[in-house]
Amino acid sequence: MVGYKQQPGKLPFSKPGSGGKNSFSKPIEENMIPSSQGGKLKQPWGPHRHDSLVSGQVIGKDTALVDSNWKVTGQAHYGDDVRIKGELIGRIVRSPHHYARVISIDCSRALKLPGVVAVATGADANNKFGVLPVTKDEHAMAVDKVRHAGDLVACVAAEDEATAREAERLIEVEYEILDSIHDMRDGLKDSFEPIHDRGKYHIGESNVQKRVFQEFGDVSGMLSSSVASYKEDWVFAGVNHAFTEPHAVVAHWDPTGRLTLYTPQQVPHYVHRALADVLEIPMHQINVHRTFVGGGFGGKSDPFPHEMCAAILARKSGRPVRLTFDREEVYWVNRGRHPSRIEMNLHADEEGRICGIETDALIDGGAFASFGHVTTYYNGVLHTAPYEIGSFHYTGARVWTNKPASGAMRGHGAVNSRCAVEVGLDHLAEQLSVDPISLRLANLLPPHSSTITGFRVTSIGMRECLERVRQESGWTKKFRRLPLGKGIGVGCGFFISGSGLPIHWDPNKFPHATVHLKIDMDGGVTVHTGAAEIGQGSDTVVAQSVAEVLGLPLDMIRIKSRESDTSPVDLGSYSSRVTFMNANAAISAAMDIRNNLIDATAQITNSDKQGLVIGDRRIFQKSDPSVGVSYLEALHKAQEDRGALISSGAYRTPPMGKTHKGAAAGLAPAYSFSAYAAEVTVDVETGQINVEKVWAAHDCGKALNPLAVKGQIIGSCHMGMGQVLSEEMRYSRNGSLLNPDLLDYKIPSVHEMPEVTPIIVESNDPEGPFGAKEAGEGPLLPILPAVCNAVYDAIGVRPSELPLTPEKVFKLIEKRCKSEGILDPLHLSPPSLNYSDLQTTLENRASEHSTRDISRRLNEERSEYYNGALFGLDPSIPPDQSDPSWAVRVTPDQSYLDDPRLAGSAWKHTERRKRGEEK
Amino acid sequence: MPPFKLHSPNSLEEAIEISRELSESGLEFDWIAGGTDLIPNYKWHINVKSHVISLASVTELKELSTTHIGAMVRINELATDKHTHPVLAKAAKSIASVMIRRSGTVGGNICLDTRCYWINQSESWRESIDWCHKCDCGTGADCRVIPNQNTLCVATYQADLAPVLMCLNSQIHIASPSGKRSMPISNFFKLDGMTRNVLEPGELITHITLPSDSKEWQGDYQKLRQRESWDFPEAGVAVLWKSNPEKEPIQLRVATTGLESIPILHEDESKSALENWEGVSSVDELAESIKKAVKPVKNTWFSPPYRKKMVKVLTKRACRGLLVS
Repeated sequence: MVGYKQQPGKLPFSKPGSGGKNSFSKPIEENMIPSSQGGKLKQPWGPHRHDSLVSGQVIGKDTALVDSNWKVTGQAHYGDDVRIKGELIGRIVRSPHHYARVISIDCSRALKLPGVVAVATGADANNKFGVLPVTKDEHAMAVDKVRHAGDLVACVAAEDEATAREAERLIEVEYEILDSIHDMRDGLKDSFEPIHDRGKYHIGESNVQKRVFQEFGDVSGMLSSSVASYKEDWVFAGVNHAFTEPHAVVAHWDPTGRLTLYTPQQVPHYVHRALADVLEIPMHQINVHRTFVGGGFGGKSDPFPHEMCAAILARKSGRPVRLTFDREEVYWVNRGRHPSRIEMNLHADEEGRICGIETDALIDGGAFASFGHVTTYYNGVLHTAPYEIGSFHYTGARVWTNKPASGAMRGHGAVNSRCAVEVGLDHLAEQLSVDPISLRLANLLPPHSSTITGFRVTSIGMRECLERVRQESGWTKKFRRLPLGKGIGVGCGFFISGSGLPIHWDPNKFPHATVHLKIDMDGGVTVHTGAAEIGQGSDTVVAQSVAEVLGLPLDMIRIKSRESDTSPVDLGSYSSRVTFMNANAAISAAMDIRNNLIDATAQITNSDKQGLVIGDRRIFQKSDPSVGVSYLEALHKAQEDRGALISSGAYRTPPMGKTHKGAAAGLAPAYSFSAYAAEVTVDVETGQINVEKVWAAHDCGKALNPLAVKGQIIGSCHMGMGQVLSEEMRYSRNGSLLNPDLLDYKIPSVHEMPEVTPIIVESNDPEGPFGAKEAGEGPLLPILPAVCNAVYDAIGVRPSELPLTPEKVFKLIEKRCKSEGILDPLHLSPPSLNYSDLQTTLENRASEHSTRDISRRLNEERSEYYNGALFGLDPSIPPDQSDPSWAVRVTPDQSYLDDPRLAGSAWKHTERRKRGEEK
Repeated sequence: MPPFKLHSPNSLEEAIEISRELSESGLEFDWIAGGTDLIPNYKWHINVKSHVISLASVTELKELSTTHIGAMVRINELATDKHTHPVLAKAAKSIASVMIRRSGTVGGNICLDTRCYWINQSESWRESIDWCHKCDCGTGADCRVIPNQNTLCVATYQADLAPVLMCLNSQIHIASPSGKRSMPISNFFKLDGMTRNVLEPGELITHITLPSDSKEWQGDYQKLRQRESWDFPEAGVAVLWKSNPEKEPIQLRVATTGLESIPILHEDESKSALENWEGVSSVDELAESIKKAVKPVKNTWFSPPYRKKMVKVLTKRACRGLLVS
């Protein structure tokens, strides 16, 4: 029997069509079906485990984001758009002092003001919270001390905004002012009153929050073979995410006594946990409702004190409370990129191999820990690839200062040190008289290898990225050949595609991502996911994955991702984990339902289910497409005696990595790679830089939605350009933040944007969903060094301080003029290049490696490859097992402590517990 | 934003009448033209008044011709009108962004409030630094840029039209309940970031007039800033000259903005450059002397030493037309 047959006793619904708007199924697009499945889609990187799930519906096609119509028609509800009847307006009283003890708070005058309904202070919420379980150091409002100007002291809820603002002025706070610190270098010293007290874990009596020491390989042995070196002390200003939507939150205790918190959040789950801690109620009494998010970039991925304040005020007043930030308050809560001082040392040997990287990174955490524990590691470990290196030495320290807290921002922890590495490589190439792209191509790790720190790297498209930008930018005709003031430069990037360990570690193998599907008779698929759609397109990618596996058009998929009441737990939108983890979870949930549908089809058609395939809303025999049923027919059959089809899919990272202290930081199930070439014009008389063109290649594994990938590349380019050219949180000499507004915090506008040519490289990651990896953060990294290197090509000066404002460039030009005895900068000569013999060596090696890489990526029986093979070690044995001088150290020895680098000097302190004192 | 009462007169006469009434009742007020400067300051609670008189409907102030520019002419109109002097049009076009130019007015730009990192901040921010001299909230606070000099405010004047209008020798016309007066625009400004200009309470600019020979003046306006798109000038130099048939300058005027509390017409420097005109070397000397003449302070995006050095570059660039043979 073929086809659907009405059966007695069943509901008399009419014969179902195919489902969807069009009752006819489209023929399968052969161009979208991988060649491994007999289609015409070429697979130069080999087949993928998800190939058989491809139905040709949406994966790989330019797809408008599924929530875009809400936004473009102005119907999207962001944090401040939520209106609940009877709402009060909340305002926060903030500290005017950088560092002070709160002696007393008098709210009596505020409470007498007509229209004021509730006030709250630190006394209303004693429990600490923080995004990382190991460093919970925040309170809803100051309990004892305020730690930066703008820190929360009290909050008030009133009938309207004007009253709330008036009440804010009436709350009188008495402070005892403490000596504040603003220079991160001072944070390394012992202090009479450290900004936080870590008890027995406190490092000396200093403001060092976290310190890292890592040494891999034979550093001194390797350095003895160095023939070219780069040493530079970099200074990076702190930058803010500057998203469009300021933070806003609405808290509502509903009549059943449950709290719903509406908030534009990247990590609703951590807010959920923190609320339970702070409010001292069980998690099941809280529903965290993620609203539309007007940009996050890492700046909405902490549980925030103002979210606690809104909930506390709502509980006290018995009414909903809405609290929205002014732009200035966004800077007070900050969590932007850390201001950093990074000493970068690179060494190359006579064969043009990178025999050593020594990095020392001091990062300014501001007043709270936030993600800083991780950032301290990331500043080191995330530049151990894509290059094969001989040895690696990293010292990092994060200190507290009396500034708004730094945290996670797009490219978390990797951006600054990456910039220093890539500028250093340009310098090494200059010293060795070789082309910087050739130098990079001759030093890449092969696919499916292990980095020096033991990260398992799977797919690598780095070589293709570099080759594509070299070709498309016309590199060979331009590099070192352009006139004074014009230049081209290259930079690369490497970033995690999801962090290997979840922040909140659960012993019971709790998945990182879970997706639930429900399909009832109408055929539409309801997808429940906790992935936070923050504008990056997570709803779309989950919908695409489900649509692809089930052979449905995108409009039959509806995403419910907003509320913790209905969404399975998801860790949130950070560390570029969503596409990799949620799409994998969605695929496995959809596979479950797909199997149900195929079983039902096999029953209806009485045929062998092995031969059944799914096309557009139709399930049929591959060998005889006339044998098959429509999607709805199969669905209704599958629903027999059962009702709606429901499935759950989950994703958890495979076990990986080494066991040394800190080995988990930077571990990821996959990594993205990117290379940019930037062309700039520098006005040699003023130092003004114009970025004219950017060729931006990014290896995202597989572009599930090329339109969104291009958007991420261009957006990343813009954001990185801001940091390299003009964005900085600028503090006065007494520590006041001078530019907490979008006129003086200088984001490049559309006029400053170059023409960006996005180039997508697809390296087909074996574990990624349909081969995909991240595209949201990695593409930011290369623009900074590419611009810096282009500036060198244009005017022969090497930057070491960002942002590269005209003023800083001009100083470098003046310095160069002075050293060369030139009066008019227009008479400077641009740098030139005559290749040394090493150039041919590098080109030959790159070409051999290219062959090696292709064979490794296609051969599933490939052997192990450990970093170090380029230096003569056995590639198949971990280097610490094959070379006795190869070491892994995570604490410094005395000889290091006798002459430490800047951040490394944090190790001179002894933890309290090791001093035998406990406080 | 703090509440205020908005008055919307339909004629100049009515506007002046309202100002008289308010003054006689001892009430302080502000004029509002395009609002692009005043409203952000009000939102930040900077020197707010309880009454505001809008000039939006006063049609007499909107006249625009080759020699007459009404105070309420929108900057965008000035920038795009074909009769506008080319250097003035260039300066107008460089102001802020197109949206702001469509709202902002000529009079408002001339009267632009001075700017400083320590004043253009929210009220709570200013409270955190214990206020400053310019808006001391009754505390007698000191200047935060140059402490221990409690006489002048050193906030920076960052408007673009004034230097060009100064070089064109334009007259500025003022009206008030006590009558009308006019003066060369170079006399209009008063060296202090708070008082800024000669306007007395109740006075307003009605229009600017340009001399009939302004068409014969050529020149250029150059400005320095981080983002070409919409930043305020960190330095601006206008250079205008009148040439003889041999294309040598016979008259020369240089004015700068964005460097001090007021725009400055550099008469001595341009005079001495013109005295022994020798082309390139005279331009170099002129540029050097302008650099020496300006005294920026540290209260904007770029540092004073850089801005001074750039004044020299900008002056040379503005003089390029003088050297084209």
